[in-house]
Amino acid sequence: MIDKFWKYLKYHGQPFIGLVLILVLGTVLSPHATDGTIVFLSPGNLTDVLLQQSEIGIIALAMTFVIIGAGIDLSVGSVLAFSACVTALMLMVWNPHGPTALQVAIAILAASVGGALIGALNGFVITRIRLQPFVMTLATMIGVRGFTKWLTGNVNVDLGFDATPSGRFAELFSSKPFAISLWLSLAIVAHLILTRTVYGRYLRAIGENERAAAYTGLPVRKVRLAAYIGCGLLAAWAGLIHAARSHQGNPNDGIGYELDAIAAVVIGGTALAGGRGSIIGTVTGTLVLGLLTNVLRLHMVDSNLELMIKAVIIIAAVWLQRRNTGVHGEL
Amino acid sequence: MSSSGWRGALLLLLGCALAGCTSESSPYKYTVVFSQCNNSEPYRAAQNAAMKKLWGEQPDVHLVVMDAQQDSVRQIAEIETAIRMKPQLLIVAPNERAPLTEVMKSAMEAHIPVLCLERDIAEPFYTSWIRVDNRAIGRLLGQFVVTCLAKKYGEPRGNIVELAGLKGVEAEANRKLGAHDVWDTYPKIKVVGEAVANWSQSLAKDRMTELLSAVPQIDVVYGRNDPMAVGAYLAARERDREKEMIFVGIDGLAGEAGGVSKVQEGVLAATCIYPLCVDKAVEIGTHILHDSSFTPDKTYTISSALVTADNAATFYK
Amino acid sequence: MLACRDIHKHYGGVAALKGVSWSLLPGEVHALCGENGAGKSTLARIFCGITAANSGEIIFNGQPVNWTGPQAARQAGLGIILQELDLFAHLSIAENLAIGNTRMESGSWVSPAALHEAARPLLRDVGLELDPELPLENLSVSQWQLVAIARVLGLNAKVIFMDEPTSALTDDAVERLFGLIRRLKERGVTIVYVSHKMNEIFRICDRVSVMRDGEMIGTDVCAATSIEQVIQQMVGRTMTATRRKKIATPKESFLEVRNIFTRKLRDVSFTLGRGEILGVAGLVGSGRSEIGRALFGRSPVTQGSMILEGRDFKPLTPHDAVSRGVALVPEDRQREGLISGMSIRQNTSLASLSKYSRASWIDREGEATAAKEALANCRTKLTDLELPVGSLSGGNQQKVLLAKWLLTNPRICFFDDPTRGIDIGAKDDIYRLVAELAEKGLGVIWVSSELPELLVNTHRILILHEGRSLGILDSPNATQEDIMRLATGHPALS
Repeated sequence: MIDKFWKYLKYHGQPFIGLVLILVLGTVLSPHATDGTIVFLSPGNLTDVLLQQSEIGIIALAMTFVIIGAGIDLSVGSVLAFSACVTALMLMVWNPHGPTALQVAIAILAASVGGALIGALNGFVITRIRLQPFVMTLATMIGVRGFTKWLTGNVNVDLGFDATPSGRFAELFSSKPFAISLWLSLAIVAHLILTRTVYGRYLRAIGENERAAAYTGLPVRKVRLAAYIGCGLLAAWAGLIHAARSHQGNPNDGIGYELDAIAAVVIGGTALAGGRGSIIGTVTGTLVLGLLTNVLRLHMVDSNLELMIKAVIIIAAVWLQRRNTGVHGEL
Repeated sequence: MSSSGWRGALLLLLGCALAGCTSESSPYKYTVVFSQCNNSEPYRAAQNAAMKKLWGEQPDVHLVVMDAQQDSVRQIAEIETAIRMKPQLLIVAPNERAPLTEVMKSAMEAHIPVLCLERDIAEPFYTSWIRVDNRAIGRLLGQFVVTCLAKKYGEPRGNIVELAGLKGVEAEANRKLGAHDVWDTYPKIKVVGEAVANWSQSLAKDRMTELLSAVPQIDVVYGRNDPMAVGAYLAARERDREKEMIFVGIDGLAGEAGGVSKVQEGVLAATCIYPLCVDKAVEIGTHILHDSSFTPDKTYTISSALVTADNAATFYK
Repeated sequence: MLACRDIHKHYGGVAALKGVSWSLLPGEVHALCGENGAGKSTLARIFCGITAANSGEIIFNGQPVNWTGPQAARQAGLGIILQELDLFAHLSIAENLAIGNTRMESGSWVSPAALHEAARPLLRDVGLELDPELPLENLSVSQWQLVAIARVLGLNAKVIFMDEPTSALTDDAVERLFGLIRRLKERGVTIVYVSHKMNEIFRICDRVSVMRDGEMIGTDVCAATSIEQVIQQMVGRTMTATRRKKIATPKESFLEVRNIFTRKLRDVSFTLGRGEILGVAGLVGSGRSEIGRALFGRSPVTQGSMILEGRDFKPLTPHDAVSRGVALVPEDRQREGLISGMSIRQNTSLASLSKYSRASWIDREGEATAAKEALANCRTKLTDLELPVGSLSGGNQQKVLLAKWLLTNPRICFFDDPTRGIDIGAKDDIYRLVAELAEKGLGVIWVSSELPELLVNTHRILILHEGRSLGILDSPNATQEDIMRLATGHPALS
């Protein structure tokens, strides 16, 4: 067991090095609060980072699947905005009779179904009509954004406060326990699906060599379609947290989130070519990005410099991975 | 990863540890964090400059300015991090009302005094709000417009086009309401077009170009801040239509690019000085820092003034 | 003129070459034999600068040389044609021939007309009558090989290493290749012919060297030795000569293919009985693999019908075919057969994973046990199932492929050139395996270019010519000439 752990670390350890480095850097360089505590390591700060990264983190989980299957999904940012707006509209504009829980449940359902349908559209066109994933999801990215703007009249839909259903929703879904445990449980489920189920095995085979996988009789189209549906669905769930945290449905939000998610996946060791990758890596990559931003913010580094530093990290991460020659890791 | 990679990482770690040891504790007694929503607007850039100058006069204060780049989610995260720093004072210029409400509540709950600058949030989770009466400004300008139209046509009638800022902001809503308070009483004064330009000059130019094609007769362009009004002017000038209408804005900033100078040049017919609110904020903030028994008012209102071609020279700085 | 002294090479802990010393004479055709894993390919790669030896030296024209990479070796005049062809599918023939050829790449501008011109004589040399503008992906495996040979010729090599050059060629193409080799020999080019095929070696080569387990066993002049002796040196033991095998008589037919038309097939019909081994022979491009694709749902059947076990059989995807009990072992192991980044265990279980899982959760123990068993049945000596299949030899890879399909409990197995590029020991294992499958009642369809192999191991042989079936012969009564006559389009003499 320990043996397997070291072997895994040897082949897939790069993102962990990054994580450890950032943690140490952050601790060492951390400012001290007025009462002397190390700000960076304070539980409040660390859980802040987890909360701040939860949306990207959730999207990145599903993105890992899509990328392992040799695809890509650029529409997740737009789906997030769409989901946030649908949720806000359902809670604020559409008022059925019934308890708060019911109204919130219906809003969640609407957002989830919407996200899954968009994912299904992506998957269908990519697998049946054989449009390239980059092209199709780019189109969806633009189309869904336009649809969301139309739906809201390009106006933000603010959620209420106090005991209103929307206020309750915002309170619950933006709370640390909820967001962090949602991310964590989805990560665990994703990890298990990828490493322990038939679906996960098929996905990796298809991503590495689609021809051979087809010649083995694997259901290539269905597996890919499922990955895209999953991506749309998880982007929608991230949108729920987003709506709660920003207390509104903003049709112009989420721009660039797809790139952050892809960056997290890539830093975590998944190759854009498909076939290899891990959820543990993606979670690590998400944490690396979040902690890095946190360290920079604690030092009041110019926010524009932040972007350049992020770029350097991404390049460094991918460069380190070139020396990785392990077998598809299973832990 | 190879062993050389591990060695390299280890060296880097040691280097950082050494670097860390050399960082000393802060010589400042007070830390003031100012969370600005968007550095790139001229009004806000002026606010930042004023903040730095005024707080800079107090040697025991360390001022930190954060730029949220007009992204509410980013501002929320920045304030969350700022709270961890346990500053003695937090000043926030919120990007939007609803999103920033919860996080400012958290700051209050963490026993940090919070000053809300110029814009407000959905619930009063702050120590003080330093504001300008935007509705009064709207009325001032509205009245000015009525006077101009009356002069032009002999009676108060005409077509008005409005350029709006970010919809979720109090200033936007009140500036509009104030003007309409006046205009709604004149049936022959009509608002024939409105576009959202998010306080930006370039967006306003684009929106105005569209409006120029859509609306044949425009008498007044009411830009809810100076940059938008100027942007509209530029768009009209491209079509050689700038003489047929007047442009009014709000901000009245100093300097060559500011609203006052534009009035003097004849680009804008009028503007309203929109105080930066920084003087008051620093004044109240200093009291809060030094005097623990000081209880500030919940709201401080700062007055404005109308600037036209007649009195522009007196306002120009 | 080209020699090596005491070459050692190891990969990790495994020694591939243990102190090999060897020399070549100018203008000779020198065979290099050995079972898979003996080190022939490794030695060839070291000579051509693709890999570097751990110790020892290479001497070219009297001087020790140290290649910095394959480019350096190429410039010096050493060319190699690899078994796993390194050509580019999306580029045209002419472009592939030009790559790496610095003469053709003079200046920054590449004129398509110039490439075309340069390509023509090379293609004529190898006997490939194709438009140089064609992208490589439209060509068959055998045609790819000819392009690879043409490319090396374009580089004006002085020494050419050919690693299993005829493994995908049909007999007539082999003849053309031999003619080419003889012409090259006259020009003074030395050819190193790495192969298993004894008949070819003794036809075309002057000398033969045998390697075994990383060591050079010995070099003989072909005229002074025999096939048996060489085999003995290779294997270290005597082999029973290939003789007609005893196969049980097949029972009732359960697959009927009636007048099917596909993109490449025209009106093909045949039946297959339980326990029958049906061989398929034909020239390159005759449609042998197409039958497999039609059975496997990769090539739509536009006319005609297929009936399996009494029910209509119209597979739209390989998934459909697999669920009806059809298995296909494709021609191209690397591209179509195995997932090279996955482990042996994962590859072996991939086609039958639903059996080792409950509600989609994989039972790793069950999977590993089944894989071990299947691999043992295929007579592999693999112990560590977690190694990536990409690291195995050709023979072992083929066995993993077979094991994979056997785990699906198929009713019909379609083998497309299963013994290509495999050493004699492994080939024997595969023949025995197929016979066992037939005995168990499976129907087997076996495509091969090696006619002796087909005659000995099958019940009947279907011969295709340009997409049409020209005849089905009974194997015991057929001869190679009969098959070749039909394959070249001449109907059987009655």
